[in-house]
Amino acid sequence: MRTYTLLARNLAWYWRTNLAVLLGVATATGVLGGAALLGQSVRATLRGLVLDRLGNTGSIVTRSGFFREELAAALQPAVPVIALEGVVEDERSLSRDAAAQVYGVDERFWKFQALPGEPPRAHEIILTAALARELEARPGDEILLRVPKPSAIPLESLHGRKDEIGKTIRLTVARSAAPLHEFSLRPQQGDVRAVYVPLARLQRDLNQPGKVNTLLTRDRYSPSRESAKTRGLTTPSQGATVSRQSTPPRAAAWTEPSVPSGFRPVRALPLVVSTESPLTPPRASSSGSALDRLLKQRYTLADVGLRTRTLAKPACLSLESDSALIGDAVAAAAFSAAQSLGLRAEPLLTYLVNALRVRGREVPYSVVTALDSALAPAREDGVTLNDWAARELGARVGDAVTLEYYVWRSDARLHTDAAQFRVERVVPLAGDAADPDLAPQYPGITQSRSFRDWDPPFPLDLTRIRPSDEQYWDRYRTTPKAFVRLARGRRLWGTRFGGLTSIRVFPPSPAFAGALRAALDPSQAGLTAVPVRAESLKAAEGATDFGEYFVYFSFFLIVSALLLTGLFFKLGIEQRTREIGVLRSLGFSASKIRALFLLEGAVLAVAGSVAGVGAALAYGALVLLGLRTWWFDAVGTRLLSLHASVPSLAMGAAAGVVAGLGTVAWTLRGLHAVAPRGLLAGELESRPARWRWLTGSAVALLAAALAGAALSGAVGQAAGFFGAGALLLVAALLFQSAWLHARRPAAAGGLVALGLRGVRYRPGRAVLCIALIASAAFVIASLDAFRRDGASAGTGGFQLYANAELPLIHDPNSESGRSALNLPPLPGVRFVSFRLRPGDDASCLNLYQPRNPRILAAPPAFLRSAGFTFQGVDGHPPNPWLLLESKPASGAVPAIADANSMTYALHRKLGEEFEMAGVRYRIVAALQDSLFQSELIVSEENFLRLFPDSQGYRFFLLNTPPGQSGPVARTLAAALADYGFDPQPTGALLASYHKVENAYLSTFRALGALGLLLGTVGLAAVSMRNVLERRRELALLRAAGFRRRHLFTLVLAENAFLLLMGLSTGAACAALATAPAVSARGGHVPVTSLAALLALVAATGIASSAAATAVALRAPLLSALKSE
Amino acid sequence: MLEIANLGKQYPTPRGPLTVLSEVSLSLNRGEAVAITGPSGAGKSTLLYIAGALEPPTSGSVTLDGVNPYKVAEKELAAFRNRNIGFVFQDSCLLPQCSVLENVLVPTLVASGRAAWPTRARELIAQVGLEDRLDHRPSELSGGEKQRVALARALVLRPRLLLCDEPTGNLDEASAEMVAALLLRLHERQETILIVVTHNPALAARFPKRYELRHANLHPAGA
Repeated sequence: MRTYTLLARNLAWYWRTNLAVLLGVATATGVLGGAALLGQSVRATLRGLVLDRLGNTGSIVTRSGFFREELAAALQPAVPVIALEGVVEDERSLSRDAAAQVYGVDERFWKFQALPGEPPRAHEIILTAALARELEARPGDEILLRVPKPSAIPLESLHGRKDEIGKTIRLTVARSAAPLHEFSLRPQQGDVRAVYVPLARLQRDLNQPGKVNTLLTRDRYSPSRESAKTRGLTTPSQGATVSRQSTPPRAAAWTEPSVPSGFRPVRALPLVVSTESPLTPPRASSSGSALDRLLKQRYTLADVGLRTRTLAKPACLSLESDSALIGDAVAAAAFSAAQSLGLRAEPLLTYLVNALRVRGREVPYSVVTALDSALAPAREDGVTLNDWAARELGARVGDAVTLEYYVWRSDARLHTDAAQFRVERVVPLAGDAADPDLAPQYPGITQSRSFRDWDPPFPLDLTRIRPSDEQYWDRYRTTPKAFVRLARGRRLWGTRFGGLTSIRVFPPSPAFAGALRAALDPSQAGLTAVPVRAESLKAAEGATDFGEYFVYFSFFLIVSALLLTGLFFKLGIEQRTREIGVLRSLGFSASKIRALFLLEGAVLAVAGSVAGVGAALAYGALVLLGLRTWWFDAVGTRLLSLHASVPSLAMGAAAGVVAGLGTVAWTLRGLHAVAPRGLLAGELESRPARWRWLTGSAVALLAAALAGAALSGAVGQAAGFFGAGALLLVAALLFQSAWLHARRPAAAGGLVALGLRGVRYRPGRAVLCIALIASAAFVIASLDAFRRDGASAGTGGFQLYANAELPLIHDPNSESGRSALNLPPLPGVRFVSFRLRPGDDASCLNLYQPRNPRILAAPPAFLRSAGFTFQGVDGHPPNPWLLLESKPASGAVPAIADANSMTYALHRKLGEEFEMAGVRYRIVAALQDSLFQSELIVSEENFLRLFPDSQGYRFFLLNTPPGQSGPVARTLAAALADYGFDPQPTGALLASYHKVENAYLSTFRALGALGLLLGTVGLAAVSMRNVLERRRELALLRAAGFRRRHLFTLVLAENAFLLLMGLSTGAACAALATAPAVSARGGHVPVTSLAALLALVAATGIASSAAATAVALRAPLLSALKSE
Repeated sequence: MLEIANLGKQYPTPRGPLTVLSEVSLSLNRGEAVAITGPSGAGKSTLLYIAGALEPPTSGSVTLDGVNPYKVAEKELAAFRNRNIGFVFQDSCLLPQCSVLENVLVPTLVASGRAAWPTRARELIAQVGLEDRLDHRPSELSGGEKQRVALARALVLRPRLLLCDEPTGNLDEASAEMVAALLLRLHERQETILIVVTHNPALAARFPKRYELRHANLHPAGA
C-alpha cells in the first residue's frame, strides 16, 4: 500500500464527482486557453493580411511629389508605381467610393507581385473585388476616376493653382482582382477598395511623364526580413524586433558660422518633414535601413524637385526648386555644400507685387527681389529701384514707396497687404540689376508673351496695365524693378514652404550639385524609404490584445467554471467527511489529509487541463465565429481565422492547472477547523463564524469609501462605483454566509418555511450557489447600463461631418470661397475646417496598432467655442481646448484625444508625453465619447509648424439649420463631389463607434450568459445532492403523510430562495455599480430588457432545479427509511 | 500506562455550558481491559474520544505512558495517535474504495518502517479469519466481517491503547459474539490497554473491569 494506491482508489471510486471536477477545470482551461488562442489568432490574421496584401513588397521609397521613374533602376530590384487616393464612380450604377486606393501600375508591378493575368492596359481599370461589389461594377462599365493633380508649387502659396487640384480620368472596367491579390500598402483589417490603372496613362493624365511617387522594393532592404515561406506562421515577436532609427537632424550643418542666421530652423523641424504618398504610413524621418543608405547614394537633385542652372551673367549656378520655393532644410544643405567647396552662396527671394506706389503714381504687377548682395539697400526699410521704375513712379531717393501685394494666409483666403519702404537708391537697369533669372519659373506667367497672356492663379486687373508695362515685359520679362533686404522680404513673403526662391553659387562649380546631394538627407526633402513590411507587422500586433480582452470578457465564465469546480470538489469532500474523520483517528494529520486531497486535485487539474486543450480550440473557434458573425461590429472583418499555437494552448493549460489547484486548495481551507469527532459525525463546516460578519462589514465599509471617493472625484466615477458595487457584492455574500451559518431557533411555518430551513443544511453550498447566480446577475445587469445609444454630447452640437479626399483650399464660409468652390448659398450653414495629416485610424474601428495616428488641426476659433465634454483634463483650465495653445516646458506638442482612443488604442494616459513618428506629444485633455476617436487634435499653429507640407482642409464639422442636415448634405455632396467631399451625420459616426462598444458588451454578455449556464448547472447539482443526502429525512416526511409534490415544493422552495437571493443581491449591487453610467444617460435604464433578462435567469434556474429535484425524488425514498 | 485524572468536559450551548464529564479519573496498566456502560448521552463516547486524543478535555489530563497528547503540536498529536492508539467504531468506518488488505494498511501510510507492515497486516487479517477475503471491498463483506477488518486495522501498528465505540452495536448476536471474542483474544495477545464503550451487557460482562458512566462520572458497575 502506497499513497498513490490510495490516490488511485479514490480517483476511481469517486469517479462521478471527480469527472465533474475535471470538467470544471477543463471548462476553465478551455476558456483561458481559448482566450489566449483568440489573441494569437487575431494577431496572426492581421499579420497574414499584411503579408498577403504587401506581397513581395518589403520597403518602399515614397514622396508626396513625384520623382524620376529611373530611380527604380538605381535601387534594383524596385518597381515604380503611382500610389494615390481618389474618388471612383461607376457611370452605369452611379455608385461612388470617395476614398479608394489608386495604383498606377504596369507589367513590372504584376511580375513583382506575381499576380495572375495581365495588368491593365490603355484605358482599362481593374477593381478589387470589394470595390467592384461596392460599386456594383461589371466588366465593360465606364469608371470615372478623380485623383489629386500633382502640383510642385504649393497650393497654399500665391502661385499655387487652387482651381486645378484634381484630375478626372475615364476608364473601362477590365475585371476584378482576385481577393487574394489585393495589394495594399496600408494595414487594414477591412476589405481593400483599390483600383489598378495603367501607369503610363496615369503619368500622361497627371502630366508627370516618366515620374512616379512610390517605388516598391523587396525585403532585402527591410530591417526585418521574412521569407514568403514563413508568412503567417511566424510569431508576433519577430515584428517586434524591428526598431525604427531616426536619422538625427543635421545639426552640424546648421552650426557652420557662414550659414545665415535667419535660416536656422527649430531643431525639431527637419525631423518632421513629411511628404509621403497618402497611401503609405506617414513617417517623419529615414529609418536608417540599408535602403535609406542606398537611396542617399543614388538619388539625384531632380528626385527631390531641385535643379541647378548655370547662368552666364552673372556667372554663377542658380539652385532652384520645382516648387519655386526652397525650404530651410535644403537651404541649409546648400550653404553647407557651398562652404565645403569654398564657394559663396547668395540666397534670393523674388515676389510678384501688385503695385509699386509713390505719391499716387503706380507701376502694376512688378517683380521685386529680396537679397543681401550689392543691389540690396542698406536699411531694413530701404528699397532700391531700377531707373525705369523710378522714372515711371517719379520717385527720388528718400521718397516713400508702398508695395502692395497678395498673400495667401492659412485662413484659406487671399489677402492684399501693403508694406512701406523708402527709396534708398536708384540703379540703372543694366548689369546685375537687369537679370530676369532672379525670378523663378511661374506657370502661367514666366512664359507669357505679354501681360495680357498672363494666367496667374490669383485675380489680375488688366485695366491697370499700361503700354509702358507691356514694353517693359516685352524687353525685360521678369527682371525685378525693385530690390529689398532679404530679411525684410522673408518676413513679408516667406511661407512655411520656404523663404527663398533660389540660391546663387559663385563661381559656378560643377562640384556643387554633388556636394549638395551629399549634404542633403533626401528624407529632409521629402524622399523617404519606409520599411513598410516591418512597420505594418509591428502594427499587426494590434491596438488591442484580444487575448487579454477575452480573458476579461470571459472572466465571469472562468470564475463560474472555477466556482463550479470548487462546488463539485466540495461536494466530493462532504461526501467523504466521515472518511476524513477515520483517517484523522488513524493518525493522519490534517495537513497530510489536505495534501492527499490536494494531490487528488492536482491529478484532476492536470487531467482537466489536458482535456481543456480541446475545449480551448473549440472555445477559440466559437468566439472567432461569433466575431465574424454576431459580433462583427467589434472587429469589422470576416477574415479572422483560428491560429492554434502550442505556447497559447500550453499557457491556457498551465493557467487551468493553477486555477484548478487554487480552487481545490481554497475548498480545502476549512478542513483544519473541524474536529475529528465532528468529521466522524459527518460535519464539515465549522460554525458559527463571527469573522464573516466582521469581514463583510469591513468590505462594505470599503465599498462605501470607494463610492465616497468616486463622488468626491478622487477616483473616476465609473470605475469607483463599479468597484464599490463589486465590493458590495462580496460583502453581501459574506453577510449571507454569516446568516446561513448562524444557529437560529426553529420557527414554525408552512411547507415553504420548512423548505427554507433546508437552506441552512449545507450553508457553504448555499453560499456558493448564491455567489454564482449573484455574479451572473451583477454582470448582466451592469452591462446593460453601459450600452450606448446615439444620443450623446460627443457631437459637440454639430449635425454633419465630412472628409474630403482632395483638400479644400478655399474657405467655404466666405463668399469668395464659395464662389471658388462653386457652392450655392447655404443660409445658416457654418463650416469648421480642419487641416488633416492622414494617418492610422486611432479609433476602435481599427484593429491595427495606430503607430502614426491621424492628426487634426483645430482652428483657433473652434478652440474658443467648441462645446464637447471632457472626461479628463490636465489641470483645471476654464477652457481645456486652449491647452492646445499652451507651450509645455518639455517642448512637447499639446494634443487632445478621445478618452477611449487614448486608453484602448494609443495606450496612453492623460498628461503622458510620448513620441510618435518623430514628434513628441503630450495629452492635455481627453474627450468623453466624442466623434474625434480616430485622431489626435493639435492646434493649427503647431500643425503647420510640424507638417509644413500639408495643404488645405480635409475634415469638416458643419452646423446646419434644424431639420436641414439631410438636404445640406446632399447639396454639398453634389457640389463638392470632385473633392470626394462626403458629408455624413455626426450621430452616425458616433453610432459606428458605439456599435463597436455595444458589440463588445454583447460579447461580454453572451459569455456571461454561458457563465450563468454553469451557475444553473451548479444549482441543479446542489439541489440533487441535497435531496440525495436528505433522503432519510424526506422518507420520514413521506412516512408522515407528505406526498411527492409536497416534497417537491419543499425542495424547490429552498432552491428558489437561493436563486432569488442571488438575483436580488446581484441586481442591487449592479444598480450601485452603474449609477454614474445610468446618470450620464439621463437616468435611462432599460428596465424592460433587464427585467426580462433577470426573469429568464430566474426561470432557467428554477427549471434546472425542478428537473434535478424531480430526478432525485424519483428514487424510492422509503427504502432509505428501511435502511435506517 | 493510561492515566486519566480529574477529567472534565463541557459543551457550550445557548443556555450555558453543558457538563458531560466531571472529575473523571481512571488508571489502566498495559494488558488491562475495561468496559464502560451507561445510558445514551451520558458521555461514554466523549470519554473515549478524549482518551484517544481526538477531542481535548475542558479540564484534567490524559497521559499515556507519561505523555499528555494534548500538550503536543497538531502534527505530533496525529503521529501519537497513529503510533499508540487504535480505534474501532460502531459502523466500522472502512474506506469503501479500498480492499480489505488496503484498509488494514491505511494507517501504515503515515507510519514509519513501512516494509514490515504488509506481512503484519496479512497476519492480522488471518487472525480475524478473513485471509481469503484480502481483495474484497467493504461492500462485499457482512457487518461482522467489516468489524473484524476494522479490528485488524486498529491493531496493525501495535497500539498501546485500543478504543472501541460500540463495536458490536450494529451486529447480530452471533456476529457480536464472534467480534467480542476476537477482540478479547487479540487484546490478550497484543497486551494492549483496552477500553470498550458498549450498551451490550453480554459484551460488558466479558470484561474483568466494568464501569458505568452516570452523572458525568465513572462508577464501578453494579455499585
